[in-house]
Amino acid sequence: MGRRNVSARLAGRIDLTADTFSLRLQLDEPVDRPVPGQFVMIRPAGGSQPFWRRAFSVAGFGTDGDGGWLDLMIKIAGPGTRAWHELPTGAAVEVLGPLGSGFPVEAVHGRLALVAGGIGLPPLLYAIGELERRGVAWDLYLGAPAAPALVGADICAERAKAGRGRLIIATDDGSRGERGVVTEVLERHIEAGERVDALWSCGPMPMLAALAAVAERTNVEAYVALEERMACGLGVCLGCIVPAAGGGHLRVCREGPVVPASRIDWSRM
Amino acid sequence: MTTPDLTVTVGGLTLANPVLAASGTFGYGLDLDDLCPPERLGGIVTKGLSPEPRAGAPMPRIAETACGMLNAIGLENIGVEAFCREKLPVLRERGVTVIVNVFGASSGQYRDVIERCEAAGGIAGYELNVSCPNVSSGGMEFGHDPALLEELTRLCRDATVKPLWVKLSPNAPDLIATAQAAAAGGADALSLINTLRGMAIDPYRRRPELARTFGGLSGPAVMPVALRMVYEVHRALPGVPLVGLGGIETGLDAVRFMLAGASAVQVGTATFRRPDAMLRIIEELEAYCRETKTSRVASLTGALEEI
Ligand SMILES: Cc1cc2nc3c(=O)[nH]c(=O)nc-3n(C[C@H](O)[C@H](O)[C@H](O)COP(=O)(O)OP(=O)(O)OC[C@H]3O[C@@H](n4cnc5c(N)ncnc54)[C@H](O)[C@@H]3O)c2cc1C
Ligand SMILES: Cc1cc2nc3c(=O)[nH]c(=O)nc-3n(C[C@H](O)[C@H](O)[C@H](O)COP(=O)(O)O)c2cc1C
Repeated sequence: MGRRNVSARLAGRIDLTADTFSLRLQLDEPVDRPVPGQFVMIRPAGGSQPFWRRAFSVAGFGTDGDGGWLDLMIKIAGPGTRAWHELPTGAAVEVLGPLGSGFPVEAVHGRLALVAGGIGLPPLLYAIGELERRGVAWDLYLGAPAAPALVGADICAERAKAGRGRLIIATDDGSRGERGVVTEVLERHIEAGERVDALWSCGPMPMLAALAAVAERTNVEAYVALEERMACGLGVCLGCIVPAAGGGHLRVCREGPVVPASRIDWSRM
Repeated sequence: MTTPDLTVTVGGLTLANPVLAASGTFGYGLDLDDLCPPERLGGIVTKGLSPEPRAGAPMPRIAETACGMLNAIGLENIGVEAFCREKLPVLRERGVTVIVNVFGASSGQYRDVIERCEAAGGIAGYELNVSCPNVSSGGMEFGHDPALLEELTRLCRDATVKPLWVKLSPNAPDLIATAQAAAAGGADALSLINTLRGMAIDPYRRRPELARTFGGLSGPAVMPVALRMVYEVHRALPGVPLVGLGGIETGLDAVRFMLAGASAVQVGTATFRRPDAMLRIIEELEAYCRETKTSRVASLTGALEEI
């Protein structure tokens, strides 16, 4: 099927923290099973504001119901995300997806470290489900400036307990878990001899740049899920480019959002 | 009523329906094949092509605005060679009506692109993007100086017998003078409008939103301006076929442009919001014809009643 534009209904919302919530979208028609890291572009049906659709990573997916459902996890960042927080249950929405590239789930082996900062958790949460289905062991490093800003820590702790995972929390001020920026905490663990066969990460650009540096220093293969402002999400507006290693650039919506960290020229970011 | 006839003729070029994809919003014609098959459109206008590939502008390149958006992509493109080698054969095989959007930093570069395409074959026509600075005249845009525009159009005219459209800029100081100049230079039709120059400001960072400070405004926000311009040029030059664009999102928007004087329309930004927007516009156009007992959509061109 590939990417499709389908109608859906807002089936429910759960508030997670003061400024984050999750949404479930019940699809009227089926879409391809998203690969973790892929995203959707959504808008309220018939809505004229905000002008562009908004991009969100797939945080969960199921096939029950007419066309199956999608879970998203959203942080309120401005008017567009606030409108999604206020949209009433049952509202008709349009979902375009799944879009872009995903994490290399087919190629995983050994022990995987997942690294989330800020609102970087959603694609990794979805990845955990896919890893569990394949019996792959994972360590999730979840970072935030301080305890109240941690998103999804309880959900992740449950997933870890129920499966083959481990949750490592990092806060900059040490108010919960280990003290330090999440990429520093990760590097400490690697240096202490913990097994990490690959890194998958999503979060703010500076964090991803730091992660790319850790990956290079420790010689571990890393994949990052990028974010950029985008108008179409389809590869035609050329608004969401990032500099590529060796020159030129990549479109976050097409070649990305998930790319090997080594494909990005972080110095030109 | 029998099925309305959606075919239109624009300065000698016959299109299966009046809806074309606008330059820069549909890639090279095949990028959205899965969501909007190009052969179902009246035609596609390619991303602007230059003789050599161009990397384009720094980021940020786009900003959202009220009922529209700004872009400063900087004319990034794969270059005419790669287009003719990689994209054109597929488009030709699929029977897509392809209009190549052409730009250059000098009039010679415009001509180079056309000559390269002529050699490749299979192109229905050309559209000159004249909202481009001419390096040899101190960066003045071709479309802002009627004399320069006429000369450029003539040079391109001499390079092809195919339909030649000139895409007018709404930022030109004298719209009618530029329209006349393009017609005098031998254009078969005029497309209007390109984007309106604008800017957006981030109040917290206290900076322009775009790396290039200014960008081109598109989307429904520009439609009233575009309609007025199509109307004015049609009144001033009734014999010159027009292709109308600027903010079209529905079949009725397309009808509005045709009533104002356009023989065909292009759809740009709407595709970003709904990738199948053009397919819906064609359906809505047909529904409008049925509803109003219009047997030929072409009869709408210039059919505006005066107040
Ligand atoms: C591939 C991808 C996946 C994403 N996944 C998630 C997710 O799972 N959960 C989540 O909460 N957010 C996610 N984002 C970010 C989310 O799209 C933005 O936070 C949102 O668009 C902000 O809209 P706004 O109107 O609330 O904010 P505003 O700041 O008012 O938005 C202004 C403009 O900037 C754009 N914009 C602002 N911040 C971002 C950003 N970080 N990334 C991209 N565009 C931005 C908006 O789309 C809008 O066009 C993702 C972004 C991308 C590109
Ligand atoms: C992202 C983007 C890129 C564009 N690139 C080009 C281009 O390369 N050449 C050109 O002549 N016009 C270009 N345009 C202008 C459109 O073709 C069109 O004239 C304009 O957007 C108004 O129509 P719309 O409101 O339907 O988008 C571009 C517009 C956008 C939004």
